[in-house]
Amino acid sequence: MATTQQSIFASYDKDPKFYDEIFDEKGNVKKVYQTLFDLYSGHSSQDFAKLNDKAKASFFNQGITFQVYTDQEAKEKIFPFDLFPRIIDQKEWDTIERGVLQRSKALNHFIWDIYHDKKIIKQGIVPLDLITSSANYLHQMIGVDPPGGIYNHISGTDLIKHSDGKYYVLEDNIRCPSGVSYVICNRTALKRALFGVFNHYNAHTVTDYAQNLLEIMESVKPRGVDEPNCVVITPGVYNSAYYEHSYLAKSMGVELVEGRDLFVENDFVYMQTIKGPERVDVIYRRIDDAFLDPLEFRPDSALGVPGLFSAYKKGNVCLVNAPGTGFADDKAVYTYMPEIIKYYLGEEPILNNVHTYHCSRPDELKYVLENVDKLVIKPVDEAGGYGISIGNRLTQEEIEKVKKTIQASPRKYIAQPIMSLSVHATYIEESESFESRHVDLRTFCLQGADKDFVLKGGLTRVALKKGNLIVNSSQGGGSKDTWVLKK
Amino acid sequence: MLARVANNLFWMGRYIERAEHVARYLNVNYFSSLDAPNEKSQSRDHVLHSLLFMANGPVEEGYELTEKNAFYDIGLNPEESFSVLNCIKYARENANGARDLISTELYESINKFYHFVLNYDADFFVSKGLFDFTTQIAESTSIIRAKIRGTLLHDEVYAIIMLGVNIERATQIVRIIQAKYYDALKAQGGYDKKFSKSYEWTTLLKCIEAYDMMRRHYKKTPTSLSTLEFLILNPECPRSVMNSLVQVKNHINVLNEDKYPEKDSAAFLIGKTHAEYRYKTVDTIEGNIEHFIEEIQDTLIDIANKIEKEYFKY
Repeated sequence: MATTQQSIFASYDKDPKFYDEIFDEKGNVKKVYQTLFDLYSGHSSQDFAKLNDKAKASFFNQGITFQVYTDQEAKEKIFPFDLFPRIIDQKEWDTIERGVLQRSKALNHFIWDIYHDKKIIKQGIVPLDLITSSANYLHQMIGVDPPGGIYNHISGTDLIKHSDGKYYVLEDNIRCPSGVSYVICNRTALKRALFGVFNHYNAHTVTDYAQNLLEIMESVKPRGVDEPNCVVITPGVYNSAYYEHSYLAKSMGVELVEGRDLFVENDFVYMQTIKGPERVDVIYRRIDDAFLDPLEFRPDSALGVPGLFSAYKKGNVCLVNAPGTGFADDKAVYTYMPEIIKYYLGEEPILNNVHTYHCSRPDELKYVLENVDKLVIKPVDEAGGYGISIGNRLTQEEIEKVKKTIQASPRKYIAQPIMSLSVHATYIEESESFESRHVDLRTFCLQGADKDFVLKGGLTRVALKKGNLIVNSSQGGGSKDTWVLKK
Repeated sequence: MLARVANNLFWMGRYIERAEHVARYLNVNYFSSLDAPNEKSQSRDHVLHSLLFMANGPVEEGYELTEKNAFYDIGLNPEESFSVLNCIKYARENANGARDLISTELYESINKFYHFVLNYDADFFVSKGLFDFTTQIAESTSIIRAKIRGTLLHDEVYAIIMLGVNIERATQIVRIIQAKYYDALKAQGGYDKKFSKSYEWTTLLKCIEAYDMMRRHYKKTPTSLSTLEFLILNPECPRSVMNSLVQVKNHINVLNEDKYPEKDSAAFLIGKTHAEYRYKTVDTIEGNIEHFIEEIQDTLIDIANKIEKEYFKY
């Protein structure tokens, strides 16, 4: 056994600069991973190569894929799935769960306040121009009361574990956070591929997400509706997250609609069924704000429904999440999160924020320009890991270029110290062995009129390229099954 | 159920069914012609014409009629909308559009099937793989039908898919009858010189996988009369036109529960056609096959159009 153990972990790089999730400082396997490590060591590298192929085929056959367009044709690819699960013990999870729920609630108060009294601005805690300069702030939402008073029903908070062993929040996603279907697929794939591994651990289920999402949706039904008709709206089959949209609709047992299936009459929303129009009460929308309603937002939108926003304002339909939440998950607002939490909830933040420099403030801009090589520079309004510069990876020439870009529009950029994402054992096809790779964690938190829910698990995203810190799937990242242990 | 998604399901059913008939015709007609008892039935041109006719229609002038060309166009040519490959592609696209309504198991079987066809080696197929490819198509479509029957609720979703399957089945059976009828006209002779006793009637039955049961039912060598009676009017023959009409009638009743459907509704036309075939006799068809073919094809198109107008508007 010792020889196989050596072979599958032979190329595992133990770098003390990073927090290692599997091995302690002395190079010993951490207690919580010991059983898993022993079970895995009983397999040869050929076994893992075979299991890896099987897991890939399972995703491919189920059509859990996305399209990649080359010159000649569209190719289907699977999201890489890693065979080594991440384990989070009960104590650690408890902090995460309370922390993300706290942020989700604080953000909901914040959005309400901004679209109503703007107290937080009047009291000088958050600057006004931070809000009004955001492209995602919608003046149309001023004074609108969403059913149940909820804006961010679904929040996806991204966490990392820094070299100090503590969790830090990287960002909150409260527009249309995606990825939850992969949490469930990963669990299924892992249970199938690694027969007899899962039952050695007492982990929480992740399959209760859909049931909870439906209950949350039903809790924010419009006034006067007894049994709300809930639907999921998708941009269509060519959207890269279409699998997730269809999965969510199927697992909740509700219709998956497109904009062209819906119409609005007298400020009520209907869908065209085989038996004629049927009223729709709650819409989980996976369409961006700008495309929701051509009469109110982008007039060229073919994905949305004319008149939808007006029906929403009248309180005749509920949109999940509410329009106009995007200003609050902006990377510039992120830096005020500790103050926002204290202001609305009177509590200390449970999860750490990464220290952030605002390029919009002259003295901080000066520091950033002098220390680009030690910082990560991020545009405040880009998703998917685009436009990020990591200072210590840049040549002198590139640093100068970044400086110029920042100086041209300082409001667009923030900078943070280079956080070192923790590393985890990850199966690498080329070497047919487990190597260390950087990971983060996306959590999923639901908030309704009378209940809330945090999925016990999450999407551990892993940067498959050696040394890479960007874990987004659009940039070649993979994911891991994530086990939250019961007490 | 959404009208748009119902349209997807209807066509998913049709394309799966179509792929199977085209593949089966390719297989059976080709192999049974190899040792046909008369020269015409054995001739390559005769068979290739018949294959292309069934899949697409009369062969265009200037078409280079070789085995390889015909096989490729019918089986795997991505440029030909009638190819088996495209049928499966369209079936999967339609399944994608209704993915939240159908079972995971059904979707997976369609998806696997699509990738099998997409990745099938075209050179191998046209040189050696005809039997292997077409047999696999038949097996995969059987699996898909079993998943439809065994994993979906037998509600409106099922009714819509089965309407598509059965309308397509009737359409393809008529198409095959038409192709073999022309073959029989051209290839008279064999055991008997007469048209009514042409070898092509046996091939026709085999193309529909109805030969064994036909022998069991009639206990005689197939003639034009008995073959047409069996394939068109016998409600017990699972692929007969009559059987398809019975199924279509049952499934439309799930969507339209009116005891007396309105005169311009799909349910009314289906009921009327069903009643007409219920009391038809084969002698009225046999003397005038071409007229029958034209009439039933028009009726099937009418039925599909009415279903579309009534249920798929969005």
